[in-house]
Amino acid sequence: MRISLPFRQHATPRTPLVRALEAAVGSAHVLHLAEDLLAYEYDATIERRRPDAVVFPRSTEEAAACVRIANEHNVPIVPRGSGTGLAGGAVPAQGGLVVVLTRMNRILELDPRDRIAVVQPGVINLALQEACAPHGLLYAPDPSSQRICTLGGNIANNSGGPHTLAHGSTVNHVLGLEVVLPDGRVTWLGARQLDAPGVDLRGLFVGSEGTLGIVTQICVRLVRAPEAVRTMLAIFETIDEATEAVSAIIRRGIIPVALEMLDQEIIRAVEPQLHVGYPLDAGAVLLIEVEGLRETVLEDEAAVIGVCRELHAREVRTAASEDERARLWEGRKGGIGAIGAVSPNFYILDGVVPRTRLPEVMREVMRLSEAAGFRCANIFHAGDGNLHPNIMFDELEPGAIGRVLDLGGQIMRVCVDAGGSITGEHGVGLEKRSYMEWIFGPPDLEAMERVRVAFGGADRFNPCKLLPTGRGCGHAHATELLRHLETPGVYV
Amino acid sequence: MTASLSSDIESVLPMARQRPPAGYPIDGVTPRVAFRPETRDEVAALLQAADATGFTVAPQGSRTTLRLGRPLAAYDVALDLTGLCRVVAHEPEDLTVTVEAGMTLAALQRLLGERGQYLPVDPAPDDRVTVGGLLATARAGAWRGHLPAARDLVLGATVAMPDGALVRSGGRVVKNVSGYDLHRMHTGALGAFGVIVEASFKVAPLPAGRRSFALRCTNLEQASELAFALWDEALPLSALALLSPGAAGMAELPPDPYVLLEAMGNDAIMKRVADAVKVRAVLAHASGGIETDSQPWARLRMAAGGNDSVVLRLGVPASQVSAAIEEAEGAGCTAWGYLAAGAVLASAPTLPPEEVVRLRSYARSLGGFLQVESADASLRADVDPCGEDDALLVRALKAQFDPRGTINRGRWMEAL
Ligand SMILES: Cc1cc2nc3c(=O)[nH]c(=O)nc-3n(C[C@H](O)[C@H](O)[C@H](O)COP(=O)(O)OP(=O)(O)OC[C@H]3O[C@@H](n4cnc5c(N)ncnc54)[C@H](O)[C@@H]3O)c2cc1C
Repeated sequence: MRISLPFRQHATPRTPLVRALEAAVGSAHVLHLAEDLLAYEYDATIERRRPDAVVFPRSTEEAAACVRIANEHNVPIVPRGSGTGLAGGAVPAQGGLVVVLTRMNRILELDPRDRIAVVQPGVINLALQEACAPHGLLYAPDPSSQRICTLGGNIANNSGGPHTLAHGSTVNHVLGLEVVLPDGRVTWLGARQLDAPGVDLRGLFVGSEGTLGIVTQICVRLVRAPEAVRTMLAIFETIDEATEAVSAIIRRGIIPVALEMLDQEIIRAVEPQLHVGYPLDAGAVLLIEVEGLRETVLEDEAAVIGVCRELHAREVRTAASEDERARLWEGRKGGIGAIGAVSPNFYILDGVVPRTRLPEVMREVMRLSEAAGFRCANIFHAGDGNLHPNIMFDELEPGAIGRVLDLGGQIMRVCVDAGGSITGEHGVGLEKRSYMEWIFGPPDLEAMERVRVAFGGADRFNPCKLLPTGRGCGHAHATELLRHLETPGVYV
Repeated sequence: MTASLSSDIESVLPMARQRPPAGYPIDGVTPRVAFRPETRDEVAALLQAADATGFTVAPQGSRTTLRLGRPLAAYDVALDLTGLCRVVAHEPEDLTVTVEAGMTLAALQRLLGERGQYLPVDPAPDDRVTVGGLLATARAGAWRGHLPAARDLVLGATVAMPDGALVRSGGRVVKNVSGYDLHRMHTGALGAFGVIVEASFKVAPLPAGRRSFALRCTNLEQASELAFALWDEALPLSALALLSPGAAGMAELPPDPYVLLEAMGNDAIMKRVADAVKVRAVLAHASGGIETDSQPWARLRMAAGGNDSVVLRLGVPASQVSAAIEEAEGAGCTAWGYLAAGAVLASAPTLPPEEVVRLRSYARSLGGFLQVESADASLRADVDPCGEDDALLVRALKAQFDPRGTINRGRWMEAL
């Protein structure tokens, strides 16, 4: 990254905001120098904006104190986990205070008998998985970024993953949340068991993208790991055949626990780097997993193989060992990162369509990309109809960014026209706010705005996110406030 | 007054929608007027007219689950939603369905069943509940924790608001994070913020088969250990219950402590479950894996509805389910519990408020909660039926969505 900014010689004087934060959490845990703030300007998307200060609370009390201090100093607050978000959710669109939760990274309780865990928001998704494994338990939501993303970020975005097909998104696994509300008050939403009484404030909060408060503790449910798992790689000549097979599998009433698609662009990016065994000449592969009892996974496996063969799969392989299975998954989980090696930049989209519409929608996605002159790599949760076209480009080419964003809009439009949605798991954030009006009318958006008002987060709590321009954004357009990334890098 | 009220609403609804109010009592109170609209626009128009004139509206479906929440503070208009019962869209190949909120669960299950599908929910008291009621009460049954509940399966909803707006959230696709999930806010809200007129769900293929087993034990503790052993086996169970002798009696089993379980799947799965049940029963010295029909489940489900009894639901850790059953029985209830949901249901003909309060503090001492699922108005006035909400937030939401308290006034003790 090219960085040419004033460095320490112009040490920024401590503002009253910074002094108050330092008094609350200790000066080691507050950043305010320009070069320190740099890393908190962006998440895994295109937009960036410099915060005024960054603070790392260690406890709920400290997080609440930070919120109160920001309020006293009249600055916006933006919660942040690992910054892997793909919608600009953690970008401080109007500057202000970024509250980073990564120091709150303890697993507070893990009760295998009651099958619950209580964690702090900075715990990494995979760390919880690893803590559960010895007990034969799973925390089901498994975003591909699970090695780095935080559970707080997962809650905020209601993140999904390959196993969402069978187990549902994050919201289905969260029992209760401790939250610092925008006015600094601390409360619990939900409970430690399923179906807490009354209004489901927990369900409303999950997926609110850091606009209704800061999550400071999370109680999740754990599920029993399956007795047996079979993981298959079905190889197809074309994307078309692969997506037809996806619809056919669901249509037959077979619900695998995961049903992922990777196309040739992805395979060619992944294979040389990760050597997981995907065939380089395939048009697309499906990664299909079934689980259950020892005797039934074999039946399910046979049924899946049957459908794939019928739909012209060239070959269907089943992982013969745990090692082979891990490799197949490594290719899936590392797939997006691998694009970085074959394209200077790429832009990842996140549309959803009814799964039976996948074949035609994918044809349209490929046609539009070709017409716009971009290569497009696809790696996605096909079983849920949740596509992730990755548009590959070089931002040094004049006008490329604009054309890429344009193409992204066209693809989103195709998803909406097919009866789908503009985001399946990455969130609306900054990036997709203007698309909200494609799927929701003014009364719908107004109702959503009322939620924000009721929680007290209307003006200053993660402004310019989730709702279209003008709603919760001080009536200013975010892109006017933001500058785009100017350095070569990966637009994941 | 009554004349002006019905004429206000009549001016926006066809005459033919009016119904005799005597058919719509709630907690012994009869409304002044009753309407049974047939379209969502009619529902919205009715709400708007009532809101503008200051009259209160109580939405209702099949009227099976009205003994929930605080007693209404005022009840002018009964809003009967059973006229909204159309299928909006069924996409069997996508495993999704969109229906109007007044459709009964039975009708929905019939529709889905024709295509070998179902909505995997078993709310009390039975499938008479409407889809809107299913969401508004968020009641779950024995399947909860093994299968998803309505709140997990709802993909989106359309809700009529007091200002006459029809507000949509979510969508019809199985995965969607666009905007706030308002449909989740309405789930369990007992109509606090609006009237659900349409909802979309993710549905599931019908299982190949279903079998139930009843394992008779000598005491609850033994039953609990046995249930845990079965739960830990990663069997595809769809329900796992612990029954006190009284609850077993209610389910028309011999009056002994029981583990009652159900599994779903094909013959291979069934054989495996049957074998596991047999082995575990022998190890635990329980008297045999008696296979039973599904009737005990239906009876428990009906009992959880509590049409003329008090029903409490305690949320407790799975490991405390048996202890909580004993505690509730000590308070004079008949109790049973579900491990996977951490839920204990306690039923009694009547119960003094002090006992409810005491059981609530007991559940809280275990990190849990207590909700009054069914009771007469006086108990629901004396004891906060929910007790666990962030009241400030609920009030703030109510002030945003229903500032005049037009819908179900008083249910949430909002300052109105
Ligand atoms: C390579 C790659 C693969 C990915 N794969 C998937 C995938 O398979 N499925 C998927 O769903 N996503 C995926 N993502 C997106 C991203 O990882 C998830 O959205 C993740 O949940 C973000 O977590 P984070 O800790 O990085 O949050 P951040 O990016 O730091 O923040 C995300 C949002 O959460 C808010 N937030 C963070 N912490 C808190 C908190 N404690 N309280 C309140 N709000 C908070 C922020 O304000 C922001 O709006 C992927 C991203 C990458 C880069």
